[in-house]
Amino acid sequence: MWIALVITHGLLAFLLLGAVTHQVVSVWAPVRAGATNFVARYRAVGSAHYVNAIIVLYLITATLGGVLYTKYRITSRLMMELGHYWKSVGAFEIKEHLIAIGLALLPAYWYFWRPSTNAGDLRTRKLLTTLLAFIIWWAFLAGHVANNVRGIGT
Amino acid sequence: MSNQSRFPVFAVTFAVVYAAVYYFAVYYNWPLFSYGPQTGQWLLLNHPASDGPTMYWYGWMATSAIAGAVAGLIVCYLPGNPGRRLWSGLAWLVPVCSIAAIAHMLSGYFTR
Repeated sequence: MWIALVITHGLLAFLLLGAVTHQVVSVWAPVRAGATNFVARYRAVGSAHYVNAIIVLYLITATLGGVLYTKYRITSRLMMELGHYWKSVGAFEIKEHLIAIGLALLPAYWYFWRPSTNAGDLRTRKLLTTLLAFIIWWAFLAGHVANNVRGIGT
Repeated sequence: MSNQSRFPVFAVTFAVVYAAVYYFAVYYNWPLFSYGPQTGQWLLLNHPASDGPTMYWYGWMATSAIAGAVAGLIVCYLPGNPGRRLWSGLAWLVPVCSIAAIAHMLSGYFTR
């Protein structure tokens, strides 16, 4: 069951990573004219449509991660400490705190992505999205590294 | 003030207070509850499990979420609505500061 949960967690994290990366690229480098190639089309996505999906994916992925964390704490983490993989342990520790702080951003993130957001708050929207993307990228990479050091079930 | 205009005040206050309280909850270890994954024990506040490691992460989040929600509700229902003057950028700035402080707290992992 733990392996199925890890795989599901990883797949959901991958979807979340794709959605938030699309969104962050589109807020920093929006396409003004018609999209003509792959990169331009990547930048031209309707990023406002991703908001609810990102919030739901974040909540489900974090909840699954929270369940898996109990197993990590009594198996993989101990082995990583015994093996002196301190940087991997540290990166995972930071991940847990980033995910927790990311939860605090979600109501504001949702609000500032509403179509009626005024021009003065566009920078807040952009920076909240960027911070959320940073959190998701860090969490994905730190989780991936920890899984490579000692995957649950190995 | 309608609920629609209260929500941004709540959302910004929640992000600010949650992120700030989370840092202090981690630093001073103020979990609302603790969990022993080895034994399956749930304990109120900061109590070590009878065997194996104790996890405080869930408790730190609960402490911060309650503090953020209470502060958000108080600020958005304050008479005269002073929350309207709250700079929306605090919603990302305070979490960034909290992340930086936590990264500094954990820097020992990267210098061993």
